[in-house]
Amino acid sequence: MSNRRRCVVVGGARTPFVKAFTSFTELDSVALGRLAVAGLLARTGVARGDIQSIVWGGVILPSASPNVGREIALDLSLIDVEAQTVTRACASSLSAITTAASAIERGDCDVAIAGGSDSTSNAEIKLPQKVVHAMAPLALGKPKPADYLTAVGKLAPFSDVLPTRPRIAERTTGEVMGEAAERMATRNEITREAQDAFAARSHHRAAAAAEAGLLADEIVPVEAPGGWVHQDGMIRGDTTVDKLAKLRPAFAKGGTITAGNASALTDGAAAVLLMSEERAKALGFTPKAVVSSWAYAAVDPADQLLIGPAMAVPRALDRAGLSLEDADLVDFHEAFAAQVLSVEKALASDAFAKLRLGRERAVGRIDPARFNVHGGSLALGHPFGATGARLVTTMANELARTGKRSAVLGICAAGGLGAAAVLTRPLEILDNLGARQLAA
Amino acid sequence: MSDLLLDLSRSRGLKKALGAAGVSLPLPEPLRRQPGPISSRPLEGRVVAVGVPGGARLSAALAEALPALGASIEVDGDAAPFRGPAEAFGRGVSTSGAGPLDGLVLDATGLAAPDELLALHTFFQPRLGRLSRSGKVVIIARRSAPIAARAVVGLAKSLGKELGKSGGTANVILAEDGADVSVAGPLGFFLSSKSAFVSGQVVTVRPGGAPSRPRSLDGKVAVVTGAARGIGRDTVRALAAEGAWVLCVDRPDDDAETSRVARALGGAALGLDVTDPAAGDKLRAALGDRSIDVLVHNAGVTRDKTLARMKPADFSLAVDVSLGAVVRITERVLAEGRLSKGGRVIALSSIAGLAGNLGQTNYAAAKAGVIGYVESLAARLAEQEITVNAIAPGFIETRMTAAVPLFIREAGRRLSSLGQGGQPSDVADAITFLATPAAAGITGQVLRVCGQSFLGA
Repeated sequence: MSNRRRCVVVGGARTPFVKAFTSFTELDSVALGRLAVAGLLARTGVARGDIQSIVWGGVILPSASPNVGREIALDLSLIDVEAQTVTRACASSLSAITTAASAIERGDCDVAIAGGSDSTSNAEIKLPQKVVHAMAPLALGKPKPADYLTAVGKLAPFSDVLPTRPRIAERTTGEVMGEAAERMATRNEITREAQDAFAARSHHRAAAAAEAGLLADEIVPVEAPGGWVHQDGMIRGDTTVDKLAKLRPAFAKGGTITAGNASALTDGAAAVLLMSEERAKALGFTPKAVVSSWAYAAVDPADQLLIGPAMAVPRALDRAGLSLEDADLVDFHEAFAAQVLSVEKALASDAFAKLRLGRERAVGRIDPARFNVHGGSLALGHPFGATGARLVTTMANELARTGKRSAVLGICAAGGLGAAAVLTRPLEILDNLGARQLAA
Repeated sequence: MSDLLLDLSRSRGLKKALGAAGVSLPLPEPLRRQPGPISSRPLEGRVVAVGVPGGARLSAALAEALPALGASIEVDGDAAPFRGPAEAFGRGVSTSGAGPLDGLVLDATGLAAPDELLALHTFFQPRLGRLSRSGKVVIIARRSAPIAARAVVGLAKSLGKELGKSGGTANVILAEDGADVSVAGPLGFFLSSKSAFVSGQVVTVRPGGAPSRPRSLDGKVAVVTGAARGIGRDTVRALAAEGAWVLCVDRPDDDAETSRVARALGGAALGLDVTDPAAGDKLRAALGDRSIDVLVHNAGVTRDKTLARMKPADFSLAVDVSLGAVVRITERVLAEGRLSKGGRVIALSSIAGLAGNLGQTNYAAAKAGVIGYVESLAARLAEQEITVNAIAPGFIETRMTAAVPLFIREAGRRLSSLGQGGQPSDVADAITFLATPAAAGITGQVLRVCGQSFLGA
């Protein structure tokens, strides 16, 4: 048996995911995180005194309290639980999980909560820097009338002084993410029909998972100001390719990306309980999965902004000693149907493998029957900072439920980032390692 | 000194008004340039038509090079080899089209006999109407097919003259056997906006070149003479933008200017008269224990007079700065073993050195001598993978040419396919290209940056 310490997923929980500016509007990122973590504590029954650390992920961080993880700990009276908050765009909560897993593998920690939350409804409206700089002398110290005149002078001409609407645009290129996805669709020849079919499948599978009670295994109901919310708000089990085909392109005239094949702005939170294998055993928990490996990669955001998972997935698989075909389950974040299909196409391409990854052969084809088996962000929604923990929760539950052996996760993120992780079933891996060592 | 016709050409309103008034001026086309460092995908968003007539040998190399540079491809001929690599970079491959084209590339490596040359017409003729302004034509031929190799040069030089009025360029790459991958470097340069003022040129490539990439001079040491202003100043800036540490050399009188340039780049300045007998010692002292990766001989002076009236001192000064110092400094650096393996020597020649110029017997002798030195040195240093090349600028808008009398200046600008003077940055970009790994397959050659000047062409 391997002597290396391993990090296991004991359980996961998330709030329902709802469309921004609907039932969770008054719950900010900290509140959503608190609800997810409280749900996780209740679901798993872990003793509060056993928790050592919270690693939280978020994209739109509250500027007055950016260490959301610690705020959650304090709100839950976990006074002596240290916490940090990480941000890696849409891979933030996966980043939180792998950061915690690193600490557990290193032996720095035995029990950690990792997850993430985002409330697009609570994005802060930003004043232009021009206004901030001009007003600074008035806000600090005791301004004289002349200072007001100076400030007005600095603001003139009165252009660019209105608060800007938050938009998901790349800082370096100014490109909105939907435009980037639109370009990827064109460049990788992903048709509107293929995108709509993929989106419809996502909704149908998510609806089936909700129907079968599988999503209830991960969702903790939330008491929002307007009443209890028990389930995700955006799944449309009755959608069809024909219905989706009627939607107008959202980002370009004659384009293919619509509100139907893109993930929507969402409020929500997700959290997982991670432990060292030994501590889990000692505390009497049955781990659902091992966090076996992970990898992060980056590409030029001006090229194909959301192709990063095609770089990160093979690295994570290599580190876990698996091939894409070996993986029983594949779960990718669905930012846009066009983006997932572009990544899928790249992974299946021999030329991509040779010229972009320096590998002899394609990473592999993904069997649709194993791919996003319970739908994805297109149907469920995508609270930026929560999606990674949602994927880990769903896949850990699925591995535990079905007895399957491995799942590979992939997430694209702003800045040209790609993230991937491999989850495996504990016993199988132990057996495999044992067998391998015997063979050696 | 500004170019009135070019300024007029930039103003749409004036252009229209002139047209309405029936005034027909030969207005030059403002060239599409790409300022700043070499980008990772210089052809981003551009469409390049590639002709692969029967027997073309470079399909695999072109198929890998073009999508990596960011281009979408339209193939005339067998498109199959292009599909995989295009897919890897998420670029389309089409076999027909009607939209504008930014570049035309003909792989003429399959052509040899005279009756095969019709393929040149077959590919270019229907597509020239679709070529955008500042469009780029590149023909690749095989050096071992002598008739076709010369024929494509003749065609390209004539085509350059057709395209010049709309800012287009035409250049030829002659590939030696086994130099398939080396073609990518000059191909990227000729297709990009970094070669705006390079037209009618032929480069021969040997094996050894690599595809172009950004920041390829990181950690390299460059020495540039005449760095205080004009071409030299733009050259040190361009080399530094690719990551090189640059020692900026110029006359002691220009110390303030040289220091200012060097400081801005994080390089160093050296006040040095290149004709100083102690120049080698001073250069060595300034470099400390650094070896040189890129040595650019840019310093030069003119002392124009007809030979009948020229004083010996003026003759020898021009020859000593442009040629004597180049040879002395290079030989000293080589003798000390201070030119790194894989290094570059780039010396400034001139179209005057190729064509001769009235009143420039001294300057032309020196600049022609530079070519002789470059050719012989290239052979000597080939073993060490050091390349040695000359750059021959045409009419470039600098302080030196601003001092030329108006009539001669206008003639210098207009007597070229592009009908305008070049910018110092155009020469700097060509020097920088030769300094990068992308040009490792090019040595012992003269690259003109002259807008296809009619002089000596």
